[in-house]
Amino acid sequence: MANPVKPDHSVVTTCAYCGVGCSFKAETYQGRIVRMIPWKEGKANHGHSCVKGRFAYDYYNHPDRLRTPLIRKSITDPWQEVSWDEAIHYAASEFRRVQDKYGKKSIGAVSSSRCTNEEIFLVQKFVRAVMGNNNIDNCARICHSPTQFGMSATVGWGAASQHFDSILQADVIMVVGANPTEGHPVFGSLMKRRVRQGAKLIVIDPRRTETVDSAHCKASVHLALRPGTNVAVLNSISHVIVREKLYNEPFIRERCEWDEFESWMALIGSDRYAPEVIGPQAGIDPESIMQVARLYAGGPNSAIYYGLGVTEHSQGSTGVMCLGNLALACGMLGREGVGVNPLRGQGNVQGGSCLGSWPHVFSGYRFVTDSDVRSSFENDWGVSLDDEPGLRLPNMFDAALTGHFRGMYIMGEDPVQSDPNQHHVISAMKNMECVVLQDLFLNETSKYAHVILPGSSSLEKDGTFTSAERRVNRVRKVVEPLAGYQDWQIVVKLMNAMGYAAHYNDAGEILDEIARLSPAYKGMSFSLLERVGSAQWPCDENAPEGTEVLHRVKFPRANGRGTFMLTEYVPTLERTNDRYPLLLTTGRILSQYNVGTQTRRTANSRWHPEDVLDINAEDARARGIDDGDWLKISSRFGSTRLRAKLSTHVNPGIVYTTFHHAKSRANVLTSDLSDWATNCPEYKVTAVEVVKIAPETESETAGFQKTATLEETAA
Amino acid sequence: MISTGQTQTYRADDPVLDMDRLIAMANQIGDFFAPYSPARRAEGIRNHLRTYWEPRMREALLKYIDEEGGTRLHDHVISGARALTERGVDRKGYYGPPQA
Amino acid sequence: MWAELRDLRDEMDLGTPPRNGARVTVTVDGVPVEVPSGSSVMLAAAKAGKSVPKLCATDTLEPFGSCRVCLVEIEGRRGFPASCTTLVEEGMAVITQSDKLQSLRKGVLELYLSDFPEEDIEGGWSEFHKTLQQCGVSDHPYGKGENHQYAFIDESNPYFLFDPAKCIVCSRCVRACEEIQGTFALTISARGFESSVSAGQNQPFFESNCVSCGACVQTCPTQALVEKSLFEGGYYRG
Repeated sequence: MANPVKPDHSVVTTCAYCGVGCSFKAETYQGRIVRMIPWKEGKANHGHSCVKGRFAYDYYNHPDRLRTPLIRKSITDPWQEVSWDEAIHYAASEFRRVQDKYGKKSIGAVSSSRCTNEEIFLVQKFVRAVMGNNNIDNCARICHSPTQFGMSATVGWGAASQHFDSILQADVIMVVGANPTEGHPVFGSLMKRRVRQGAKLIVIDPRRTETVDSAHCKASVHLALRPGTNVAVLNSISHVIVREKLYNEPFIRERCEWDEFESWMALIGSDRYAPEVIGPQAGIDPESIMQVARLYAGGPNSAIYYGLGVTEHSQGSTGVMCLGNLALACGMLGREGVGVNPLRGQGNVQGGSCLGSWPHVFSGYRFVTDSDVRSSFENDWGVSLDDEPGLRLPNMFDAALTGHFRGMYIMGEDPVQSDPNQHHVISAMKNMECVVLQDLFLNETSKYAHVILPGSSSLEKDGTFTSAERRVNRVRKVVEPLAGYQDWQIVVKLMNAMGYAAHYNDAGEILDEIARLSPAYKGMSFSLLERVGSAQWPCDENAPEGTEVLHRVKFPRANGRGTFMLTEYVPTLERTNDRYPLLLTTGRILSQYNVGTQTRRTANSRWHPEDVLDINAEDARARGIDDGDWLKISSRFGSTRLRAKLSTHVNPGIVYTTFHHAKSRANVLTSDLSDWATNCPEYKVTAVEVVKIAPETESETAGFQKTATLEETAA
Repeated sequence: MISTGQTQTYRADDPVLDMDRLIAMANQIGDFFAPYSPARRAEGIRNHLRTYWEPRMREALLKYIDEEGGTRLHDHVISGARALTERGVDRKGYYGPPQA
Repeated sequence: MWAELRDLRDEMDLGTPPRNGARVTVTVDGVPVEVPSGSSVMLAAAKAGKSVPKLCATDTLEPFGSCRVCLVEIEGRRGFPASCTTLVEEGMAVITQSDKLQSLRKGVLELYLSDFPEEDIEGGWSEFHKTLQQCGVSDHPYGKGENHQYAFIDESNPYFLFDPAKCIVCSRCVRACEEIQGTFALTISARGFESSVSAGQNQPFFESNCVSCGACVQTCPTQALVEKSLFEGGYYRG
């Protein structure tokens, strides 16, 4: 066969991996997917893609795919294969039984950022209208919930203020706690293009990542700060701006609250935030702090892009507020080429945030305590709704340990692998009586589940995703769902089985309901998206085809003005000491996606077959460690084993690993500390110690790990 | 469907979260509001707890303050939490619902 | 170049990137067309519905001018300039079809075919095949000379392969890796007849700093770089 087969059919859909939301043409030949080709008209990617979306789609028909529902009475029993009706009925009756025994608020759900907007909306409706409480959360809790909080506090909305193309108009690009080259590759390429055209790049990250230094794209300033000192350093940058009067006074007077600005100036201007003081604390040169301040304030167009390196800290929300304050002080909002842009990691985590998959708000970020908003939902849904905020995901686990929380519906998530303090999570899961898991594959969490409902991948369903640039893209079905139902159809079945009559002819009707109940999505519909391809919210009568740049005229706060929050630096309680002298921080790599559920079942594992620990040569030498040695890493919470990799990318005192492989159990180490406002876990700062251990056999490794991890069929 | 693992003696009136955790979380909130004026501090803490904390968490905190004097909490956290019990119009949160 | 990215269309390859400048009017084979200044003659021809045959040009990459297929005639000028690297000027009159142009293009394409797998000339659907059809070329008059038909096929990457036997060294892959992806993993090593696409430090793709984004595969006009998933039962050279 010398000439390739020619695809006979193609469907334009959206990648399910990261928050860039690349548009692809899924090409099939005789009903089989043979190729994913980036779509030139995709407004996020303009015909480009990365290894994951382009090639790593084979997981969808991997032998490990779940195809029949499973149930069991106790987690020590073997699984029984049952029919869909039986499984749904069992799940529904168990949820009701638990509620009767422990109270209405003893069950809850967590929805998935890889499921469509329609599905996420239905899950929160399921919790609110059917379970009768507000215990609904999503995985943004553990990554960008501080963005929600911090940005809402300063500028009014917790979402990217620009579209991706806006970076091509930026003169200064400041990347804080993010690594776009690995985490948002297509956006990273766009950023590199702009830097090659002459824009200046500032990177604030403890590691010397690829973003800092790669071919023809070098950061002008790299602040390799000590993990945990974000707020101190950002305050120090603001301090220079205040001290040298680099702020944009006309902008502040016109668009912000001047009084709040003055209080903020007083706090930031105090000596304790001077670069000369903060520099040594954070392990960086005071001169470079001043350089960053002058570069950023000088612009003329300065844009901030930030990621989990800002949010996953005990002062995550405060860190986000610092960025908001900085942008407002220098007038870098409300036009092309500027802005504050959280790089949302997952394909639809922005959607989850927008559509009320939170315990304290309905869709559109409107509080459950607000009776006007609540009545509009009650009228549409025909039931009365709980008026008190529910439990957040980490608090659901806490409440499980005290016996108050006993049932959970988990859609497309693996908390046991992805949430911090793994021993705590496992104990909590064991305490629950009804765990219903809806996913593509068995995972770490399924060991503690009682009902498994086989889900559908994004290639098997219709719906929409909302990307990191607020862009709502269509997801179109390419092949039929392997297990028989699209995820949203399963949620409807559950709702019906628990006594709530819900019916939708297709996913488009769910989007219509979303449009009715969510102001920013008012104009969204499948027919609009057919016509224009994609649209960024807010999409309503003022912006019928969506809004590219936010905050052009007013800020979406009560008085239309941006405000300044007082961001005092409160060091984290996680401290190094003699027993745990190193700081562990975590991150992502290009070829694997999050906990690797999908990418580990594709050939992408050839690039990253295991997680390793990056350690500086100095620290390694002091411990007699060579490249490739097996290490035991311990923290206050637990220990695990990884191989060493000597690296110049981390400074002495810092070690780094990724979290893509279940067997590395990186989250055994991470602490129970979290952000003050949102409980977003402090993944980025854990005190650890590292010792060399003898190489061991496979069986020893398995024995060491108390809970054996699943063996995946080799890709 | 009884779960294996720990046998939990469950009492409905036990605090919904471990008290150490609740106290640590409350103090963390207090730390953020520390630089504000006393009136705004109390209001900020009160509004944050009202908007974001599940009612049983708030009850457990107030119970701790009433029964044990709240000795492990910062002072301004105590006044913020006490403000929760004030009667009157249910004011909107400090950060308020965003208005488009 | 940012708003211009929005002007890219899936079903039409304009040949060179859209620009954003003052409007200029030219005629292509007598058909008037208005394009922004800074546009290439190739883009103007495409917009006028008179697409010029091409191989090394595509509208997601800056023009390069290596393949010599897109030659045109411009009234009042001598020679046969490449339409991809020639910019429009107000009032320009372009001719895309003539006997001389046809024989020049045929000559170039026949040379490419003389170093291409014989059995893959028929039945293919790549851009190269479409250009051959557009110019009415289906074989070549040359005997067997020195060629690359026994070059090593690089199958190191799990998802795509590189077969130098089909490569016409148009550099689209190199440019895609530079301009679009920004990794700069590819280059053309050596010169003249010896020139070939090489990854990293003359390494197999998988060993090099290639990040497997697939931009080179997508842009390759001859499918020398091609997805393995399009071959049922493995890749065999024709």
